[in-house]
Amino acid sequence: MSYTARPRPGRLRVNRGERTLRNTVVVSVLAFYAVFLVYPIIQAFIGSFHLWNPLKGQFHFIGWENYADALTEDLFWTSMTNNLVFTVSVVATRVGLALVIALAISRVKHLKSLFRTVYFLPVISSLIAVAFVWRLIYEPNVGLVNKTLALVGITGKNWLLDPDTALFAVVVMTVWKDLGYAVVLLLAGILNLSPEVFEAAAIDGASRGQVLRRITLPLLNPTVVFVVVTSLISYLQTFAQIFVMTNGGPGTKTYLTTYQIFNEAFVKYNFGSSSALSFLLFLVIMVLTWVQLRFSDAESRA
Amino acid sequence: MKFTFVENSWDDYWTKLPLTIQNRKGPALFNFHNSKEDLLLPFMAPYTLDTKALAKDYLGVPSHLKGGKLYYTDYGFMTAAMFYNKKLWKEAGLTDKDFPKTWDQFRAVAKKLTKTDAKGNITQAGYNFNGKYDAMIMGLNYQRGGLLYKADKKSINFDTPTTIASTKFLVDLYNLDKVGSKDFGTDANASFGQEQTAIVYNWGWFKNYLPDNFPKLEWGVFNLPSPYSDKAPFAYDRYNGESTFGVNKLAPADQQAVAQDVVKFFVTNEDVIRKWSMMFGCFPAKNSLRADPIVIGDPLTKELSKIIDRTIWPGVIPGPIETDLKATLQEVLYNGMTVEAAVTKTQKQLERDLKNIDFTSVEDQYTYFKDLPKYAK
Repeated sequence: MSYTARPRPGRLRVNRGERTLRNTVVVSVLAFYAVFLVYPIIQAFIGSFHLWNPLKGQFHFIGWENYADALTEDLFWTSMTNNLVFTVSVVATRVGLALVIALAISRVKHLKSLFRTVYFLPVISSLIAVAFVWRLIYEPNVGLVNKTLALVGITGKNWLLDPDTALFAVVVMTVWKDLGYAVVLLLAGILNLSPEVFEAAAIDGASRGQVLRRITLPLLNPTVVFVVVTSLISYLQTFAQIFVMTNGGPGTKTYLTTYQIFNEAFVKYNFGSSSALSFLLFLVIMVLTWVQLRFSDAESRA
Repeated sequence: MKFTFVENSWDDYWTKLPLTIQNRKGPALFNFHNSKEDLLLPFMAPYTLDTKALAKDYLGVPSHLKGGKLYYTDYGFMTAAMFYNKKLWKEAGLTDKDFPKTWDQFRAVAKKLTKTDAKGNITQAGYNFNGKYDAMIMGLNYQRGGLLYKADKKSINFDTPTTIASTKFLVDLYNLDKVGSKDFGTDANASFGQEQTAIVYNWGWFKNYLPDNFPKLEWGVFNLPSPYSDKAPFAYDRYNGESTFGVNKLAPADQQAVAQDVVKFFVTNEDVIRKWSMMFGCFPAKNSLRADPIVIGDPLTKELSKIIDRTIWPGVIPGPIETDLKATLQEVLYNGMTVEAAVTKTQKQLERDLKNIDFTSVEDQYTYFKDLPKYAK
């Protein structure tokens, strides 16, 4: 009598080749993250308790000194404040504008794809290249902004060196660059809403404003939360545009924490201090993300 | 013998080089800059050549000796000069007799070179120093006897009446003399190249930047003015030596031996030293080249030959000094801080950033250091 092994009910039959492939892929990905993510993070955390300059083999344990130095330094609080102002400004503007644009595109009958493409084009452009172009656009003598203002008799500002405008000039550039991504996500969220809900609302005589406030926005909440949270995490780590456009100036008016981290490591060769700043920033991001998620959970339940 | 050359960009080089050397994969012979002494000196082998003989041939050798050993020296001295636009100079009715010797004369010349439109906006800056405070302030201080380091040769000496006076002088050039503007572009070098600025302060490398980027520009050079009409400044400016090669002490012995030979060849070859110095806009440190016709025939080195003995080397300038100084004038001009407050803020930042960097001032080795009491207040 022969016996043929059968797979248990509900269990996929996987042959040996597929199992090998699956295991190889999983192990490879884990190894990649272990080497290029987990190990550097652990090393940086350990390094944050050291006077650390790998370029000259310096690695002396100094306890909490790097953290204490950072927390008692005016520049840290300046950069953190700038960071929060920058992030809130970009996130609020980006999400608000993206919502308006996504709602508008959702109502367009034709050429939706064209609008999506046009708004998404800046997203796929190189951030460094865009930053250089915008630096030129803001140039006080020959830049596009001031030249355009001059046509209508207005004297432009030194946008990137005026303390009142420098940070917000970078905000404008950042929103311009990343708006399309939020538009695409929110548009996808809107188009995925169930049409029956809107039909029922129409039957009940709801106005457009009521449909927007009572149906569209609440149903869109998960997508909005996703965009806000990911934006927060991303913009709290902004670096490239500050490096290219302002170098933290004028003075320290556009100094962000990430720029301070870069300076500590690659200008002052103080990798321990830089690591400590990185973990302080990580804590801030973690707390803000948790607060945001709790807030949106509470709203959903309400 | 086979020589393999590896090129890297400036920023990458100073990160990659010490790491490869530590991992025993670095070159036996490498390009060196004294601002990176703190990083690289632990990995450098001392020169085997006769340093006493070298000191007779080259200026500045004693200031580089460490424990009696020499790890690098200067093949050329780079310092600052005023670069001017010949066409704009002529348009303003100025001639070769008008090159200013004092800062008061400079202010008058710069005013003549400044143009404004009907609304009073500057259309041509007589003098533009946007982005140059960190380079200028040390020189202006030295002119008045303001040293960069305190008597202990370790502590930074930035928050002083001299710094405040020098900074106010620069602010007044814009606010009172109106020879330029903080809002007239962000990059004085590009503005000069575009012929929107008539005079700009720069170090010797600028003489190669101009033909590369603005080949049609006709430019000339004159030395920095002095605050005094009746005596020379304490020092016209600081200089920085462009350094000879580093020899990697972790390289195999046979490769080190070859590297040492290359160093000897380099420092004893007048043609090479002349060529390198001219190429990088430096005044040659080799004594036999000081009156060389080719050196004196170059517009930059011709001017520098008149004052090079009156420039000071403070020692290695740690990187954070230049970075922290950049913000000082921005705080005053753009953020409305008083000069005193901005200078004090920079002093505190410098003290913090320099506490873990090992350096020692060699200002007291300056030839005219003994004259300091005549200048310092």
